[in-house]
Amino acid sequence: MGVAQRSRRWLVPVTAVAVVAGVGALGPVVADASPKLPGISAQDLLAKVQTAKVDGLSGTVRSDADLGLPAIPGAPAGSEQLTEMLSGQHTARVAFASPDKARVSVLDNQAERVWTTDGKSAWAYDSSRREAVKLTVPEHKTAKPEKAVPSYDPQAVAKQFLDAIDPTTKVEVSGTEKVAGRDAYKLRLVPKTDKTTVGSVTLAIDSKTWVPLDVTVMPRTGNDPAVEVGFSSVSFDVPSANTFTFTPPQGVKVTDKKVPSQVGPKRVAPKQIEPKQLKPGTAKADEPTVIGEGWESVAMIRGAQTGRLTGNGPLAQLLAKAPTVSGTWGKGKVLTSKMVSALITDDGRVFVGLVTPDTLQAAAAKAPR
Amino acid sequence: MSPNEATAEPAPLADAQRPGAGRHTLALFLSELRLVFARTRTQVGLGVLAAVPLLIGIAIKIAGSDSGAEGFIGQIAGNGLFLIVASLGLSLPFFLPTAVTVISGESLAGEASLGTLRNLLTAPAGRSRLLAAKMVALAVFCLAATMTIWISGLIVGFILFPVGDVLLLSGSTVSLGEGLLRALGIAVVISLSLLGLAGIGLFVSSLTSTPLAAMAATFGTFIVLGILTAIPQLHAIHPWLLVYRWQSFADLLRDPPYWHEIGRNLLLQGGYLVVFYAAAWARITSRDIT
Repeated sequence: MGVAQRSRRWLVPVTAVAVVAGVGALGPVVADASPKLPGISAQDLLAKVQTAKVDGLSGTVRSDADLGLPAIPGAPAGSEQLTEMLSGQHTARVAFASPDKARVSVLDNQAERVWTTDGKSAWAYDSSRREAVKLTVPEHKTAKPEKAVPSYDPQAVAKQFLDAIDPTTKVEVSGTEKVAGRDAYKLRLVPKTDKTTVGSVTLAIDSKTWVPLDVTVMPRTGNDPAVEVGFSSVSFDVPSANTFTFTPPQGVKVTDKKVPSQVGPKRVAPKQIEPKQLKPGTAKADEPTVIGEGWESVAMIRGAQTGRLTGNGPLAQLLAKAPTVSGTWGKGKVLTSKMVSALITDDGRVFVGLVTPDTLQAAAAKAPR
Repeated sequence: MSPNEATAEPAPLADAQRPGAGRHTLALFLSELRLVFARTRTQVGLGVLAAVPLLIGIAIKIAGSDSGAEGFIGQIAGNGLFLIVASLGLSLPFFLPTAVTVISGESLAGEASLGTLRNLLTAPAGRSRLLAAKMVALAVFCLAATMTIWISGLIVGFILFPVGDVLLLSGSTVSLGEGLLRALGIAVVISLSLLGLAGIGLFVSSLTSTPLAAMAATFGTFIVLGILTAIPQLHAIHPWLLVYRWQSFADLLRDPPYWHEIGRNLLLQGGYLVVFYAAAWARITSRDIT
């Protein structure tokens, strides 16, 4: 009897394991239950989104990207940061106040990168290097620095996708979900063509302010999102003005830059590029040409430093393994990943798109030399 | 009924006869604390931890302010307060876990090896209460360990370097007082981060009567968890690993502090503690006296 009674005590730690694992694994699922909302048509929802206007918001944005991206050859120096942003998990605090105040701070491990503008000046601060860059914004271009970082703002990302909606895309309201504690409609965009690697794009749209709170891009194959950017917490109170000001602290190196036009296009500015172009990584290269329309669009970058590819670096090794293809357009190597395909021709052109390799070759045939 | 069980679960009569069980509990906890902190190895361990800020401080002082290091270390020369933060951060991956491993491995196995556990298990204090006293002493040690670094960092930092307003990660500045408070918060968060490991150590220590074996097993577990955390392909299980969010303490230096990761870390530590404390309890209360 004694032994049985004593061995029963081990039920306590076993139960503890079950409870801890259960709470940890199921807790988030229960919290994500779909809320009950009145029905709405996709068209009404889209209209609401386009008229959505908030005076200010603040919150925490998480992004999780898994594009399977290798480094893009020929990309100009300084693009490492952007490539880094497009892969892995990131958390950022964002704040916005209309019309032209914005702040984004990316929370890195024991460091922080801050971009902020109060409409008159813009600051970029990197805590690990303790360096700050100041941009003086000309009066008539006050909105520019705010655009310097929109690839991290779910609103901008969503708008970019919304602009691409045309007859090539099936649009539907696919249910409801809770995002950052708010009730939201899910708007699902499904490409009608099978030439793209994008399976679907789902926006979660707040049912009160009609602001997109979350963007999820699913690849055509696989069950894990390729990109998910969304609020994990959000408040629609207007943040106080001092949120957006930046006083360079002592001991921080400050650089003054007075040419905002050089900074603007470095990041994705939705209004400056063809709205059809969905591949943000290509936007910062020198004058990319867009071939094709909608989901099938392919960006062409000239003058890739193919010399770099003959070396022994990781990229050269990657290319050495890549299959060689040829056609009327010439000869080149094809790199494919879950989402992005790239064709690097021998004459130094790079074709990139969220499309299948065959579509890339077709685009290459049509491309100007 | 065997005599063992009689001691494991004292008869109600015995309980009623004892005047002021609460006083006994307090006495047990105090004697446990005295036992832990009177050990030479505890004092040596704390001494080593106290030396960490001193070593870093002297190294930075010699290297000069233009060493160009990134992160907290690079900020020490400009503000001595960061010596506290940098020392705590640098002690977290190795020194602090080692100290916790040694003390927790010792806690039950040490008594067993000396034969004193036998006396304790037959004593009227009760095994559950004995285990609780051991755990509380371990928790106090975790706090003492980080506070040792905090105080030592404070003294060395203020002697060797200029101090002043504190630059936060977000680029804003707070007063020295608030900076010290935030550094204190970091010390507390780190000591709480060690509780999961302390729980594992307590459980392992209840399995054996060889303290060295308990320490080795606990430290081995810690190393394995660390290696698993470093393998990117295992990212699916990473949120469940003990050390995965240990670095989140730096979120206290943001403006405003970012609590999400710290909260997740502390919940995870709580989970580990509950599981391993329950396992240690099951082991110690069902154990035969040898």
